[in-house]
Amino acid sequence: MTAKLNVLRYVLGAAMLGLWRNRTMTLGAVVTTAVMLVTLAAFLAINDTLNEMVTALGRKSNLIAYVRDDARPSRVTEIMQDLEQRPGVGEVVFVTKEDALRIFQERFFDQRDVIDILQANPLPASVELRMDDPAVLPALADELRGMTGVFESVAVPLDVVERLVSISNVSRAAGTAMIVALTAVALFVIANTIRIAVYARRQEIEIMKLVGATDWFVRGPFIIEGAFIGLVGATLAAVALVVMYLQVAPTITRLISFLPIATDVSFVRNLAVFIVLVGLVVGSIGSYVSVRRYLAV
Amino acid sequence: MIVLQNVSKVYPNGTRALDDVSLQIEEREFVFLVGPSGAGKTTLIRLINRDTSPDSGNVFVENTDVTRISRREIPKLRRRVGVIYQDYKLLPGLSVRQNVEFVLKSTGEFNGRTSKWVDEALALVQLSDRADHHPHELSGGEQQRTAIARAIVRRCPILVADEPTGNLDHATSWDTIQLLVRINALGATVLMATHNREIVDTMRRRVIEIANGKVVRDELGGGYDG
Ligand SMILES: Nc1ncnc2c1ncn2[C@@H]1O[C@H](COP(=O)(O)OP(=O)(O)OP(=O)(O)O)[C@@H](O)[C@H]1O
Ligand SMILES: [Mg+2]
Repeated sequence: MTAKLNVLRYVLGAAMLGLWRNRTMTLGAVVTTAVMLVTLAAFLAINDTLNEMVTALGRKSNLIAYVRDDARPSRVTEIMQDLEQRPGVGEVVFVTKEDALRIFQERFFDQRDVIDILQANPLPASVELRMDDPAVLPALADELRGMTGVFESVAVPLDVVERLVSISNVSRAAGTAMIVALTAVALFVIANTIRIAVYARRQEIEIMKLVGATDWFVRGPFIIEGAFIGLVGATLAAVALVVMYLQVAPTITRLISFLPIATDVSFVRNLAVFIVLVGLVVGSIGSYVSVRRYLAV
Repeated sequence: MIVLQNVSKVYPNGTRALDDVSLQIEEREFVFLVGPSGAGKTTLIRLINRDTSPDSGNVFVENTDVTRISRREIPKLRRRVGVIYQDYKLLPGLSVRQNVEFVLKSTGEFNGRTSKWVDEALALVQLSDRADHHPHELSGGEQQRTAIARAIVRRCPILVADEPTGNLDHATSWDTIQLLVRINALGATVLMATHNREIVDTMRRRVIEIANGKVVRDELGGGYDG
């Protein structure tokens, strides 16, 4: 037990000493990691915002399928039940001819009785879809258009949604590429820092091995060093994130209040925790790679 | 205890350092290893703590074939074999005491009890008053004695000394031999490579002589020359 504590104390002490001796490199690696993680956070926030926008706009832009007057009601009910089961479909509502007329009246002819003028109700009944995932809208619209016996026409406010979906896709691809590149850079910088630390301590390492130190006892401090660099970099990034959130979020919310930008506290908190974990993992992996490669233990 | 069976070692550059060497050293024996420079003495020592591996043959230490043990088992072997290196291998950034402590710290064994071992080892090599000096502040002989203290601090059952008197004057050489004899009397097996003719001739212990990587003499109570 005391031997284990001794080992732990040694490993931690050696790691901190190593970081301090090598402090310029350590600082560089910490900053690189922090930059990588801030970018990751920004990307995740942007991506989340875009997704929210797509969803929100998708919700507003119902698909409206106008029902032919001669369509069989049972067939329409069947189709509606089927639509409700589809993935991405939120709500399916039937608007009767009477409802349509009432809505029309409320909007345009609040004072007068239109039926009196027109003699008959010219508005079709309709099936309206509220979507959970607007990405499935185009395919669904095509399918309903094919049912010419049931529907007169199908209206989809496709343009906005499609554009948003594609922006969101592009942003996701670009963001992913950037994250991969930055992670590679952070891994490289951390691995290199550890390589230099290994080189600086090569004499110590040789003797430790000759007098019977275990592999993990030799490796331990270096892995901890890498993990520590990742952790400190991540903490910096998380602090930057929270500061930015406190400074910027109220302004953004005020400026574009109609957009559901992800600025709520729980999102930022989760993001901060996630970033710290990523930092820890990247730091550990970077140093482990280096230790495996340059330590030969 | 220590058994070599038909051991050959060729370094990557083609040098045949050991050629079909067989020998057996019993527990608690005291053995001199002699032979001209380049004969293969250091190479033989490096095989014992698996610092290097032979190209053929087997090396048994305490009944374990150390040429066959896994990486994970090497530390266990090295904790049983104390080695005094010909080139000392001291850490320049550490004081004499820290160099000796380093052995115990490397295995997580350094604590209140074992820190007394450090004091004792330093006293045995008469370096107590130099404990806080760094290697570059020491004479060659003092550095050598630091290396000895480091090799004995863990009280290994096997002590291998590679030319431990190479840098010592007559009197200090004899002090060192007395120390090794004492450690041997306390129960350790001692193998000492040396060029010190006077010591070997006076001690009359078992002498193994190698030349060009071959054992050419193995004699109980022998002298430096056959
Ligand atoms: N790492 C190495 N790589 C290649 N050749 C080596 C290596 N170490 C030793 N040799 C060669 O192996 C032979 C035996 O060397 P070794 O160090 O075992 O001799 P030694 O008996 O200890 O000599 P000395 O009395 O001078 O210390 C020598 O010819 C030497 O040049
Ligand atoms: Mg030698």
